[in-house]
Amino acid sequence: MSKELEGIVVNNSTDSELAWFARKGNLYALTILALISIGSAMALGVDTRWIYLLVYLWFGFAYGVLLQYGRFCMASAVRDLFAVGVPRMAVGVLIAVALFSLSAAVVKVIGVSTYFPSPIGWHGLIGGAVFGFGMVFAGGCASGSLYKCGEGNIGSMLVILSISFSQVFYVTQGGWLNKLVPAAWTASALSKHMPASLSVTDGWFDQFMAGYIWDLKSTTMAKILGFDGVTSGAFIGDALFCAILPSLLILILLYVLYYRKGYLRRRKVGKPTVTEHLHGIWSMLTASRNTAIAGLGLGIFAGLHMWVIGELRNHYGIFNFGELLAKMGHTAGLSIQNTVFDPGYWYITTQEAQWGGWVLHKLGMHDMNNIFYGLENGLPNPLFNAPGWMSIGIILGAASMALMRREFKWKIPSLETAVFAVGGGALMGLGARIGLGCNIGAFFAAVTNGDPSGWVFLAGMVVGAYLAVKVFSRWLDWRASRENFGI
Amino acid sequence: MMWLFGKKIKPRSAVESCAGRIVDVCELGPIQVHVAIDCRGAVCPRPQLLTMKALERMPDGEVLELLIDNPSSIEAIPAMTLTLGSTHLITVKETDYWSIYLRKGIDDTGD
Repeated sequence: MSKELEGIVVNNSTDSELAWFARKGNLYALTILALISIGSAMALGVDTRWIYLLVYLWFGFAYGVLLQYGRFCMASAVRDLFAVGVPRMAVGVLIAVALFSLSAAVVKVIGVSTYFPSPIGWHGLIGGAVFGFGMVFAGGCASGSLYKCGEGNIGSMLVILSISFSQVFYVTQGGWLNKLVPAAWTASALSKHMPASLSVTDGWFDQFMAGYIWDLKSTTMAKILGFDGVTSGAFIGDALFCAILPSLLILILLYVLYYRKGYLRRRKVGKPTVTEHLHGIWSMLTASRNTAIAGLGLGIFAGLHMWVIGELRNHYGIFNFGELLAKMGHTAGLSIQNTVFDPGYWYITTQEAQWGGWVLHKLGMHDMNNIFYGLENGLPNPLFNAPGWMSIGIILGAASMALMRREFKWKIPSLETAVFAVGGGALMGLGARIGLGCNIGAFFAAVTNGDPSGWVFLAGMVVGAYLAVKVFSRWLDWRASRENFGI
Repeated sequence: MMWLFGKKIKPRSAVESCAGRIVDVCELGPIQVHVAIDCRGAVCPRPQLLTMKALERMPDGEVLELLIDNPSSIEAIPAMTLTLGSTHLITVKETDYWSIYLRKGIDDTGD
């Protein structure tokens, strides 16, 4: 925090006098780190090819550490703007976007980028809005809820469970949901001549994918602007025009709308000069030191993650982890293309849909005759689910960090919070399936890789979060009037 | 399910008016607290919204005490003060929660 914003922070907790090694939290954090290290060593002892899965786990761990360190809540990036007019988190996210776009450009120039642009269409706006609405009620986005699990927040665990299981319903259900499918989608899905085992005309999501999404075009900013060279395309077309310039524009907008007035009043500046405004923007960027540092770190690690996975794919001569699993003899749960979900970068919601899907599959409640599991993502045992381990890594990384900073505490939600968590999680799951990802997969990873569809998702998310904040605020007022605790 | 809803649950995030309560905060000395909000157990955005609603109704110079155990709110509340025309006095880390003290109005003598 910059000096001018910062009040004094005092540590009054009972164990603050103890030596580093005598503090319980530090010992627990070390134990977590030791267990992951031993587990990793054992996995490599069995087969060195598990390195592919462990890379996901350790990058997840790093994301978790950074998210907790910066109390980095993407949900509050849009929510707090509307709720309380605070740009802190939006600033942190934009720092991460700028940095990730640069590290992603480097990876693209090296030639090992794992990113494929998403189709652009109405689904991004609608999915983003549903996701954004759910996110405010759930108290965190998909990755936010994961790192809050690591802080001992049981409400966030309910959110994760709800995201996991609700998505299974959305991607497998046919029946009455079939009636909601436009006839054009059904016809278009039929014309794709998919294997009969997928039964693409049965199931809302199958027809949405094969009959609508597959007909849309995807592109990158470099292609739109005609930057043909690899380097100029990656750095100028994609990073500069799709991530850095839009971020700068939004930063200036945030300063003008939310920060300028308070800043100038505090500095007692009557007629501000351009220099004064630049100082103001800098003050806004550095207002929360932890958040800014986390943004920088996340941007760099997200790029490194793509690079390491890209190099590993080259090394093993594969396009997808499913091929490696098949070589290792684990063919259960692979899709009919021998693939599993393996984005090669930071992603959250699909692996969670696989956790829920795997459990319900084992219970015999659905089979893989759909596009989501059967054709694209597979349904591997959670032990072999590489991105799934990334999610677990986020929880463990955040737990380690929270324990070391003595911020870990089991928090049992009230009934109201629990209902909001489950409902919000189910809406986030729905939004993520319609929008083809969450705020990480469909926004953060997209815009930083030159894919303009990410900004469409963000626009939807902003609208959804804005509406949800209004509803939430009304709800608090109503509760306050009922409980008679006027201020 | 009726038993669940019918049960008397201690209201979370209860706002209490406590004019005249004096708390002795190390570093700052005694502070007179006018409004206290216990947000322990609440997650975002509740602490932020309750803080905003409380500060909006308080006259300049009054002090708000917030008890919070949600780490991301600890970062968010001081960041709000600039927008809300108030001053962050101090954040005290207790063993398993934080107390944050905010004064309504921009403090000219502070920092």
